[in-house]
Amino acid sequence: MNWLQKSTVYALLLFLATIYSLPLLVMLSGSLKSPAEIQASPNQLIPDGWHWENYAEAITAMPFWRYLSNTLVLCVGSVLGTVISCSMAAYAFARLKWWGRDWLFAVLIGTMLLPWHVTMIPRFLLLREVGLYNTLGALILPTFLGDAFSIFLLRQFFRTIPEEVSEAARIDGLSEWGIYWRIIMPMSVPALITVGLFQFVAAWNDFSGPLLFLSNQDKFPLAYGLEQFVSSYSDQTHLLLAAATLFTLPIVLLFFFAQKTFLKGIATTGLKD
Amino acid sequence: MVGLLALFVYPFLVSLYWSFCEYDLINPPRVVGLANYQQLASEFASGTGIAKALWNTGYYALISVPLSIVLGVSLASLLSCDIRGQSIFRTLFYLPSVIPVVAASILWMWLLNPTDGLVNSILGSLGLWKPQWFASPNELVSANAFASSAWANNATPIGSKDALILMSLWGMGNFMVIYLAAIGDIPKSLYEAARIDGAGPLRRFWNVTLPLLTPVIFFNLVMGLIQSVQAFTQIYIVSEGRGAPADSTLMLSLQLFLSAFQHLDMGYASAVAWLLFAILGVSTWLLFRTSRRWVYEGVR
Amino acid sequence: MPANPSMRSFLTITLALLLGTGLVTAQQWLSRGNHQVPTDREEVVFWHFWGGADRVIVEDVAQRFNESQAKYFVRPVAMPGNNLDLKFFLSVTGGDPPDLLNIDDPVIADWGHRGAILPLDEVASPEEVARLEAWLFPAARRLVTYEGQLYGVPNGLDIRALYYNQTMLDRYGLSPPRTIADLDHIAETIAPPGKSQPYDCHGYLPDSRRIWAWGPVFGGQFYDADQQKVTLTNPGIEVALAWMVSYRDRYGAAEIARFRHGDQSLPGKTFPLFADRYAVVMDGQWRVRDIRAFQKSQQEKGEPVTQFGVIPLPSPPDGKQNAGWVNGNNFVIPRGAKCPSGAWAFMQFWCGFDGHEAEAAETSVAGGWIPVSQQVVDQPAFQKFLNAEPMFRTFINLAGSDQQYPVPVIPGAPYFNNRVKSLAEQAMSSAAKPDLKQMLEEAQTQIQTHIDRARSQE
Repeated sequence: MNWLQKSTVYALLLFLATIYSLPLLVMLSGSLKSPAEIQASPNQLIPDGWHWENYAEAITAMPFWRYLSNTLVLCVGSVLGTVISCSMAAYAFARLKWWGRDWLFAVLIGTMLLPWHVTMIPRFLLLREVGLYNTLGALILPTFLGDAFSIFLLRQFFRTIPEEVSEAARIDGLSEWGIYWRIIMPMSVPALITVGLFQFVAAWNDFSGPLLFLSNQDKFPLAYGLEQFVSSYSDQTHLLLAAATLFTLPIVLLFFFAQKTFLKGIATTGLKD
Repeated sequence: MVGLLALFVYPFLVSLYWSFCEYDLINPPRVVGLANYQQLASEFASGTGIAKALWNTGYYALISVPLSIVLGVSLASLLSCDIRGQSIFRTLFYLPSVIPVVAASILWMWLLNPTDGLVNSILGSLGLWKPQWFASPNELVSANAFASSAWANNATPIGSKDALILMSLWGMGNFMVIYLAAIGDIPKSLYEAARIDGAGPLRRFWNVTLPLLTPVIFFNLVMGLIQSVQAFTQIYIVSEGRGAPADSTLMLSLQLFLSAFQHLDMGYASAVAWLLFAILGVSTWLLFRTSRRWVYEGVR
Repeated sequence: MPANPSMRSFLTITLALLLGTGLVTAQQWLSRGNHQVPTDREEVVFWHFWGGADRVIVEDVAQRFNESQAKYFVRPVAMPGNNLDLKFFLSVTGGDPPDLLNIDDPVIADWGHRGAILPLDEVASPEEVARLEAWLFPAARRLVTYEGQLYGVPNGLDIRALYYNQTMLDRYGLSPPRTIADLDHIAETIAPPGKSQPYDCHGYLPDSRRIWAWGPVFGGQFYDADQQKVTLTNPGIEVALAWMVSYRDRYGAAEIARFRHGDQSLPGKTFPLFADRYAVVMDGQWRVRDIRAFQKSQQEKGEPVTQFGVIPLPSPPDGKQNAGWVNGNNFVIPRGAKCPSGAWAFMQFWCGFDGHEAEAAETSVAGGWIPVSQQVVDQPAFQKFLNAEPMFRTFINLAGSDQQYPVPVIPGAPYFNNRVKSLAEQAMSSAAKPDLKQMLEEAQTQIQTHIDRARSQE
């Protein structure tokens, strides 16, 4: 590219990036303002004084550490669940031939099309029967049973692995399980990481799950706790913004450091099928 | 596999059964045949209830999805130019999509405050129109918007759904990273070949990048459609939980929620859900059918 | 060469598993030490929607109740946010409802009609219920009566009145409005119609949602309980709506939308009356506290202190005095509650019925809530509060008025409520001059269909 093209690209990017980050900057700067300042000059980006105590106050106004530890349990558990179960299901859909496979796959994709508000009551009753009501298990266990989106992604990826690989392994005397565990899984690490990250972010942000299944405050994860915080402190914008920033920051860091792998994972997750 | 069936297929079937029932969540369901669907049909015929919801949902989905594709692809191709600071830009564009919806909605209601929100302050200082955003039931994409009277006296035809679309565009980062990854995966040799043929950057984008992106665009189109039609939380928050102002944000998902949990009419709500399902199913199927004409399947 | 890839992924998974188990253990450890219910008492699980500072007051009431007797133990569970009803349905479907619920949505009729909540006859003697009925303010009684039966007790009323900024009115040589004509005069003096620039301040702008308050003020009724008919087309409602829409004609729909939206209860927004944005605003009793806090902060900063006042909604010549829209926070006992008698005892304690008046007066003062009975108002503690806070007296007087109406307590009420609001919104935001008669007729038919359908379902 010549310098003219290059500077056009930079100018465009800078312009768009400013627009995209402005709301976030407003959130950040608002979280550091005093309540009086937020009301007086909501649009001034640099606060007059840096009110770090807003963060301390937000953390103490809710059982923050409890929420955070719940969220972490949830994230780790559900990432594990998704990676294990979806890879197995995807393997079955992608590499094994069995009666009704394509039909069942269509149904699976179909389940994505139905809004959760109607499916939640039967789901709720089902998990309640199993005795998981008001436990984090109610949110983690289902991920061990797979979800349509991740299965779809992984299936697409597995299908890009040449069939000869499996053939060679079969000749070497590996069982179907062996092929899955020893051959396919190690080849799919970037794709698994992608699915894992998607699930991590989803679990981090999940709001409807806790809403349905948890009723004890000391089991709430951050996303749900945040919503409750928002409704109880709706007149204290500085605290709301501080809480929202606290909530977002870990995901920002996670993405920032994992983006290389993440992008590689998506790229190789044969979406081009 | 059995668990999968239990968790997905069972609720799926139960909701289908409910759509033929009268069910208030308190007393056991009672079969009433097609009554709920008849109700839908009569509302549709009279242009109330479901008809409004369909219009609002269609307006939102059909505008926000294509726009987010255009924006996502453009951003991704800009980002894939050989530039410094790519990872920072990437993060900035991706970030908004991981902000929890609750927080994002509140933030945007604040930013789009017609009187002294950040957006209107900026527009005002540039001497531009200051739309009412969430305060108005207007629609930018309408015949009315061409009338000069729509823009006179500080008025604009921009309203709540347009604000929601703006919000959705802000949060399209997760789609953008998919494009970005796909562009990164395009063999460099193709660009080299194009360059040797004398193609400029725009031509290269048009003839190499875009065709090779079509499979991903197609995937995002389907996922985006599903997501936008099912969008609920942000709509619930900005609409005071009732589709305000003047039912302009009463979308299918909100209609469904209100009928299930406020009007205690789970049967009707399930019928709405299955209508939604049918619409999504048919459009996905149509997309798949037409995809053969424009989705590129070469190379591999 | 590192360990082979499958070995590595195996290690990763093991590590993650270990981490997971560790966290689960930590979580178990963290969640120990929960609320203990004394073994000799019956537990009453109480769900409510209060958060923030109010939550502390709620917990204090529960604690005082627990100390006041030895039979029941109330455990309050806070569920702020908009999902209390959703949670409730899930608990009913799951067969595990709470013992007591406090909710501020118009759900009494729907839930009562379908048998989800108990009529008070099932927990108290007929004599007690009759006495309770006479004891409550008329507005409070209306809120919880469905088909002649009480289905709950409100613990506080929400009442709307007109706040004005005296200092600002003085600046224009105006006095507080006594009639609708006064109010229009204030509006036109402070914001003369026909200005092309956006206005910085307004005398008054009607909020479309408050058609529920202005209807009764203009002598209108939304519903005829005897005939079970929606009566949107009755003259009072139409005149009220026409009056509200006259502000649209005066300033334009866009200006009203712009200006009004600027002061809805968005985060970071103060009471719009403080910023000199309006001279007159309709709002609820909780603003009294805000006004005092604002004046105090002015004093501390050494600024001149702005004077405020509050009056009942002014009426047109043939309208109703002291009329308006009332809402409340209602206690209800779900069917299937394990300890309905404990719930009933706690309700009485909080509201002040049957000997708990003094306690209830303390609670109302602490929360800045409007009591539900004159008997609580008459308590020395509350009288002392009223003497110190004369603005609150306006609300107490309105609470005793028999012209305060809630959204009709009938099945289908939530739809009724929303449809009427959206009707007024449509009228006020329409670009062309709206045909009110036709809009009212249309909405009336739709609401009637909806409530007939809701009533027919059981």
